[in-house]
Amino acid sequence: MSLSRLRAQPLGDSALTIAFGTEKSAELLKRVHAAAFAVSAAALPEVEDVVTAYLSLGVFYDSGKTFYAEMAARVLAVCERASIAEPAPDAARTHEIPVTYDGPDLQDVAAFLGLSTEDVIGRHLARTYSVDLIGFVPGWAYLSELDPTLRLPRRDQPRPRVPAGSVAIAGAQTGVYPLVTPGGWHIIGHTDTVMFDPARDPPAILHPGDKVQFVRAR
Amino acid sequence: MITITRAPPYLTVQDAGRRHSRVFGVPRGGAMDLFALEALNSIVGNAPDDAALEWALSGGSMEFEADSVFAIGGARARATLAGGDVPPFTTVYAAAGSELEIEQITDARFLYIAFAGGIDVPVVLGSRSTYLPGRFGGFQGRMLGRGDSLPLGQQPSTIPAPGFTCPAELLPAYTSSVVRVTAGSHADLFDDAAWRAFTETDFVVSHASDRTGYKLQGQAVSHGLGSLPSDPGCQGAIQIPSEGTPIVLMADAPTVGGYPKIAVVSKTDMPILAQRSPGASVRFELITIEQSQRALARRASDQKTIRSLGAASA
Repeated sequence: MSLSRLRAQPLGDSALTIAFGTEKSAELLKRVHAAAFAVSAAALPEVEDVVTAYLSLGVFYDSGKTFYAEMAARVLAVCERASIAEPAPDAARTHEIPVTYDGPDLQDVAAFLGLSTEDVIGRHLARTYSVDLIGFVPGWAYLSELDPTLRLPRRDQPRPRVPAGSVAIAGAQTGVYPLVTPGGWHIIGHTDTVMFDPARDPPAILHPGDKVQFVRAR
Repeated sequence: MITITRAPPYLTVQDAGRRHSRVFGVPRGGAMDLFALEALNSIVGNAPDDAALEWALSGGSMEFEADSVFAIGGARARATLAGGDVPPFTTVYAAAGSELEIEQITDARFLYIAFAGGIDVPVVLGSRSTYLPGRFGGFQGRMLGRGDSLPLGQQPSTIPAPGFTCPAELLPAYTSSVVRVTAGSHADLFDDAAWRAFTETDFVVSHASDRTGYKLQGQAVSHGLGSLPSDPGCQGAIQIPSEGTPIVLMADAPTVGGYPKIAVVSKTDMPILAQRSPGASVRFELITIEQSQRALARRASDQKTIRSLGAASA
């Protein structure tokens, strides 16, 4: 794979993005995560936060201390030095999350997919997932990649209130609702693991690039 | 300590927000009008990002348990302390047992009330700001109601003299409808017609507007982009969903989002936009990132001036 040139862009006057390419891929996402790790590790004094996404990372900085052009040049230099050859220590973390498969949508999901509920559960448990992205709400992790036979579109009617700890699937992804929020994913189970707690340090269990293994709760 | 004796429908504790928690998906949050927060803190002798009350939608009242110093500002309001008028952006000394009454918000949207010593609620993820969707920060993660009492921090050693007022020329142009923006991450994906609709017509702030985002009504800013892979979002980012109705992300902006972003509001002008009520108009003016950062530096220098004028009055 040839590496495309990285491109810096302002995101308003107090943040910037570094774009790594235009097509989503697991390889590109690894480069984004490695670069984010390198930017955080560089501990540039003006940098407040680093946010990763599918094609880019966002760097929030104190615009009282530096200007865009200078900040962009320094962040770009760090990102270009970072490579997938040096794995971030964080990236090796695997989290086991116990799940009780008792979700209100489990039967419907199985019926829609033409599978038994045990098949759905077995295929959901069979894979180790990667944390693609953190966002949407605090502590929400988009996990990839779901077994191709488990893929279905989101619910037609999103629920106004999904309980925290709900384990859900939609498209090629799965995830755990960290807080009570509205949500349109299919709920197949729940976990007692607290995914996000603002009083904890760090508040979220999962970080971009982490691995997740669901296990059956006893 | 202050006690809320009559609460408006919206009342929270806010400071300058969370600077280091976006990595966990936690929005920056903080005051919708950061100018008012910082200026009022200076006017009562506090650090710029101390916690204050963010107040909206109607009148209400509170009682001071001990001798206190406070200032109000942001939205315009008719307010009285023990029967006397309370002018905006002015240092006011309140005696123990006296009551501050906000009779009515007469113009704009968010009123701030800062107290010498700041509101001393617990710091959660580096901030005292209330994040209502997550039910954390501020006062028990919720809005304040009648009977809630808030502790104040220790009063600063230097407090501006009673009657100190922020010079009007240092305030943002709150009555202006012009809001400056810089080009967003997807700016070049919008064609000339979309840019004309965006910068040459007025938009109206809709009722569908809250701390997370302001939806705007007006000429559609058309594009054929659908939604894109999620990318980093920020306060002030102007997203255009497929039907062409701009949504400006406000204080509680999510950290990532999938709608194309045509522009980002200059941080200097976020207070102006935040204070536009539903039904008020907005016109966007495109400036360069250099101009936007120069405006921000001027604003910072104005805030320093307010701080030193206040200190000199003490």
